[in-house]
Amino acid sequence: MTEAMVPAPSEDVPAFVRADGPDKVTGSGRYTADITLTGMLAAKFRYAGVSHARITRLDVEPARAIPGVFAVITADDVPDVEFSYGIADRRLFAKDVVRFEGEVLAAVAALTPELAQQAADAIIFEYDELQVVTDLEAALADSSPLVHDDLDAYTITGDTPHGGNVATHSSITVGDAGAARESADVVVSSRYVADASHAVPIEPRAVVAQWEGDKVTVYTSTQVPFDARNGVCETLELPASRVRVIVPHLGGGFGGKCGFHYEAHIAALSRAAGRPVKLVFSRWEEFVAPDRRREGMIIDVTTSMAADGTIVAREADILVDNGAYIADASFFAQAAAMHVAGPYRIPNVRIDSKLIYTNHQPSGSVRAPTAPQGCWASELHTDELAAAVGLDPLEFRRRNIVRTGDVGPSGQTYEEIGLEQCLELASTSAGWGRDLPDDEALGVGIGWWPSFGAPAGAYMKMHGDGSAQIITGANECGTGSVMTLRMLAADEIGIDPSAIELIYQDTAVAPVGPGASGSQTLFNHGRAVEGAARQIADQLRDLAADHLEANADDIVLADGKASVAGSPAIAVDISELAATAASGELLLGKGNAEIRDWPTLSGSSCLGEQGFSSFLAPQFFCHVSRVRVDRDTGVARVLEVHTAHDSGTILNPMAAHGQIEGGVMMGVGQALTEGTRHGDDARQLNPALLEYKLQTIADAPSIHTQFVEIFTPNAGPKGSKGLAEAPNVPTAASVGNAIAAVIGKPVRRLPMTAERVWEAVEGLDQPDSSTDATTYTGGAQ
Amino acid sequence: MTDTTSTSPTPAASGAAADINAVSLSVNGAPYNVAIATDRNLSGVLRNEMGLTGTKEGCDDCECGACMVLLDGQPINSCSYLAIQCQGREITTVEGLASRDDLHPLQRNILAAGGVQCGFCTPGMLMSAHALLETNPEPTQEEIRIGLSGNLCRCTGYAKIIEAVANTAAETPVAPPSAG
Ligand code: FES
Ligand code: FES
Repeated sequence: MTEAMVPAPSEDVPAFVRADGPDKVTGSGRYTADITLTGMLAAKFRYAGVSHARITRLDVEPARAIPGVFAVITADDVPDVEFSYGIADRRLFAKDVVRFEGEVLAAVAALTPELAQQAADAIIFEYDELQVVTDLEAALADSSPLVHDDLDAYTITGDTPHGGNVATHSSITVGDAGAARESADVVVSSRYVADASHAVPIEPRAVVAQWEGDKVTVYTSTQVPFDARNGVCETLELPASRVRVIVPHLGGGFGGKCGFHYEAHIAALSRAAGRPVKLVFSRWEEFVAPDRRREGMIIDVTTSMAADGTIVAREADILVDNGAYIADASFFAQAAAMHVAGPYRIPNVRIDSKLIYTNHQPSGSVRAPTAPQGCWASELHTDELAAAVGLDPLEFRRRNIVRTGDVGPSGQTYEEIGLEQCLELASTSAGWGRDLPDDEALGVGIGWWPSFGAPAGAYMKMHGDGSAQIITGANECGTGSVMTLRMLAADEIGIDPSAIELIYQDTAVAPVGPGASGSQTLFNHGRAVEGAARQIADQLRDLAADHLEANADDIVLADGKASVAGSPAIAVDISELAATAASGELLLGKGNAEIRDWPTLSGSSCLGEQGFSSFLAPQFFCHVSRVRVDRDTGVARVLEVHTAHDSGTILNPMAAHGQIEGGVMMGVGQALTEGTRHGDDARQLNPALLEYKLQTIADAPSIHTQFVEIFTPNAGPKGSKGLAEAPNVPTAASVGNAIAAVIGKPVRRLPMTAERVWEAVEGLDQPDSSTDATTYTGGAQ
Repeated sequence: MTDTTSTSPTPAASGAAADINAVSLSVNGAPYNVAIATDRNLSGVLRNEMGLTGTKEGCDDCECGACMVLLDGQPINSCSYLAIQCQGREITTVEGLASRDDLHPLQRNILAAGGVQCGFCTPGMLMSAHALLETNPEPTQEEIRIGLSGNLCRCTGYAKIIEAVANTAAETPVAPPSAG
């Protein structure tokens, strides 16, 4: 490790004031719920309110009869289209069967929200209740009721094994893990159970739709405007050219606003009502209805080691709660398998992972789906492994983690990676090994997360006055990534970023892109913007070459000037070149992010491939948390979190630190308080901020961040990788290991609430051996 | 089985419309005379009748602080306050913080520190911070945390917001205590 790898402490982060900042601090910026259109009506949904039932009667006439109600629509009023990624298991409105409490039966448009609610409540809904599927293990039994009677009746893309209540089944197989266990010195088995949790953006989602002729404009709080548009097109059978999705300022998403939600419901309702219609969710709706929440998981993992702590095999069985519909979760089983394997050298692997249909709210991509839970299980297990062979947790990891050139647990060979630097930097920053009061301890968690190569385009134009515009399909959900696009373009063209405006979040003007999902704004949209800016830069160089009577290859664009390399005095202002171009050949650029393939694997066989068995430009990280635990009450408090991240080159330090700190905070919430509880009827018991507790400013730990900026082949612009999801991954793991270090045993349920910590202290978590088995065999001490 | 009751915990609108009252509110120094139902909450009236959408709504149960405004200088959750309770009183919203040309020091500092991401919590945070600094111009870290503990932020991790409030306090001259 060189000195240069040790980054500046966060105190020295250069100021980067975001372009959308003044809008946001003055209250003048408009979010979707702030929009009012002439003649606009209010929308409300009627929900199933029951987790599994056959519809016997749905009578909307009482709602239609209420004065001031303009439209009431159900499945009968929209095309009969089944949709979703992977398994087309869902319709806009329930038809015949409802499969979770938040399923939409009908939508109402009325003069006021109160009237719309009154009408929604007046709809008569009669049903025969069906048995619910709420337990992941019971769901696998032959005798279990089925959430979907016949999966093969749906259109299924990809060839993932499925059937019964199993939506997808993925596996990783390398070598012979069973044989390796037979001859291993030490074998440790553990079970971990994680509850479902939620993204909880502070802005509840909102949608406004307005028709003009046969074209519809939808304003929506989505992270992914093109997915939203495509969803409207698919379900309402409209061409893409007639659907425009605009995203006003977006009040956070964290994956919860990925995918396609209620844009089509409101577009259809607006068409039926003949008026613009606005939907604004309540917090209760935000908790129960969207098909994007973090999945519950059960993880059984067994690791076999040599006496010196070298891992020789890992076997695991993972059950992931899919909820009632697949949403975008078809890859979750495979992703979970990768996170339970972890970034370790493991020559023999057998991991089976199943995504299970239940009558819960559907799971979907919330900030690094499956990773925080998988990492939490894998890393708590890792500390148990270290204890079983008598090694310090840090030393145990040093012996087993993947380094540059190593082959990982799915058979991928890693190029330049910085995991070992992360481990050393975070642990050194935290003062690993220092004396602490006996109610405090440090805990470590390491992990990984991929980058995603997706199609993305960008346009750019430079005006006659030398100012410029980027037109991008990128979506700003708060991270600051879109703001950073200006810097990339400015670098290419040689002008100040403040001279570049962003046109974004409008599908009618921007080329397609993945939006704010999978930490890929810069990775993909950034590469497209660089391409567009390079075309303008080339044009400027040609103009300057003419003007300065030089060779275009010798022109340098910087500081608002085009000059001849080596002769800075021979120069012309870029704005002057722009003025010339304005009366001739215009300065226009377009760029495309080239698609990136998944890295190849060798020596492994993976069932149910969903593209997650190898990681493109993987990010690596280590968090070390200092936690205080009150053994009498079980209350844990996170005091410090020391983080080190290999996300490649850091382009916007202020935004990067913001992502780390926000991700850590969300991770602390997941670790300690954020968990959804279900009743026997499969309905949520705590869908409110009063009972589902986020961390407040009073809980905020001090966070110390370092970046390991090493060169990564196949990375994004200037060697950058993604960052927004990574910091959310290892925090719960590091907190869990710190708690275990204080109380002498791991808490095997996530969140590790005060009650669960207290139960572990009191030994009340032990009796159920099937849920808490740690067995040492062979040479265990 | 028949279910004709509400599936949402939102109270169903009662059949009888609430009484309509004429109310005079002073918001950011400007007088507004509005005719509103007696059961309307302040945040809704600010946002809809007055077009002041800087005040946000993030929940329905007084738990997020996005709707924080000042009522006679005191921070309140405007989602849980009836508009008619504010008759004749002075309300300050985020729109009242900045002057025409200049950001308020809190606005400037929260941007400079990186305390704004999605910005949805920001108006409420600013109002709580403003109320805090009015009564306690030199707050400690702990006092800042307590002063802002009714405002949830999901994006930032809070550290940059604490920094922004501390920086504002540090750069604002404290008026000498008055003699009387
Ligand atoms: S809107 Fe959440 S406290 Fe008022
Ligand atoms: S900045 Fe997004 S909630 Fe605070």
